[in-house]
Amino acid sequence: MKRFSDEMLMAYADGELDLVARAEIEAAIARDPEVARAVERHRALAGHVRTAYDGVLAEPVPDRLAALVAPSGGAPVADLPARREARRIAIGRWQVPPYTALAASVVLGFVIGMLVMREPAAPYEDVDGAFVARGALAAALTTELASLPDNSGVSIGISFRDHAGDYCRTFHMHREASVSGLACRQGEDWKLEVLAAAPQHAGELRPAAAMPLAVLHAVDAAIEGEPLDAGAEAKARDAGWRKARNVAE
Amino acid sequence: MNRTTPADEVRAQLAALLPRLRRFARVIARNVADADDLVQASVEKALVRAEQWRPGSKLDSWMFGIMKNAWIDEIRARRRRERVHAPEEAGFGVGDASAAARDIALSVQAAMARLPEDQRMAIALVLVEGLSYRDAAESLGIPIGTLTSRLARGREALQALLGGKEGAP
Repeated sequence: MKRFSDEMLMAYADGELDLVARAEIEAAIARDPEVARAVERHRALAGHVRTAYDGVLAEPVPDRLAALVAPSGGAPVADLPARREARRIAIGRWQVPPYTALAASVVLGFVIGMLVMREPAAPYEDVDGAFVARGALAAALTTELASLPDNSGVSIGISFRDHAGDYCRTFHMHREASVSGLACRQGEDWKLEVLAAAPQHAGELRPAAAMPLAVLHAVDAAIEGEPLDAGAEAKARDAGWRKARNVAE
Repeated sequence: MNRTTPADEVRAQLAALLPRLRRFARVIARNVADADDLVQASVEKALVRAEQWRPGSKLDSWMFGIMKNAWIDEIRARRRRERVHAPEEAGFGVGDASAAARDIALSVQAAMARLPEDQRMAIALVLVEGLSYRDAAESLGIPIGTLTSRLARGREALQALLGGKEGAP
């Protein structure tokens, strides 16, 4: 009598065999209860695994995901009202502290590829596995204020302190590629936490409110308290963005 | 007149696919927050490279492939930063089931969480998402023989972890 491997029986249970092999196994099932039991085990397990995750299909899809594929909304598509709406939703919902740098790392790879192609001098450098701002980007992060118009090709969005007390700032680069991101102070450097491709608006100053979702999520996860107002921003800059541990509060 | 771009078409189809993408993400990422982050990153990635998708081919297999790569990148990034995995979450999505069905679902989720990544992905695609061996192998970028052996080993491990429950109730 022909013996069938467990893999064969599994493939049979999964409906993956051709007619001939199927007929052979059905004959074996008919005469050998052990084969029948093995096939039944495969089927039962498959059924349990399938139903164990069925509930996910019935859950409502979170707005932040639905917004990505809405006909007119979501990064990286340029549609400002939809993005503002998506942002409002994202800020409201994203309160889960375990910010995974997932979105960040994926988008980061893509955008860095883009920058390498387009920028004559890369505005970042890989330092021990972390990306650190360099050149015009580093200069803008260190010296520019959000309230002032920029002529460096980098505009600053919001500045805030993260959970560890380090200063972080969002920025938008629009000289070559249109890229937004979040950088946090690390010693004397600005470490890039997130970079994301941003839609380009010809001849239009891009509102800071329309930051890509990946950046907004990163901000939302990192921020401690409220963003700095213009006065606090200027003060922090003048103090060299030194970690604000000793602030009396 | 507006031209339909590949991104428009992918986006339109993705809207219907989101619940399944979330389910697949839940199997491989094991908790809700990480899973939805994974879906988000993968959708963003897919929209950016929408022109790489061949219209007429299966969008689900293509998306699962993107998600698998994004997840592997994420795991590597976490190792590099020595971040620990967020704890697995027990019992998501089993709300309305009967007590017995709920028990089984919980044991299955717990057992799945203990499988090696490659076996869990094979099982997620074939048993949970119902892909054919061929499509699943293509999503994962592996030969069919490799897929079936991961599938067989994963099932064996699940049977062992679930003990006597395999046929029950």
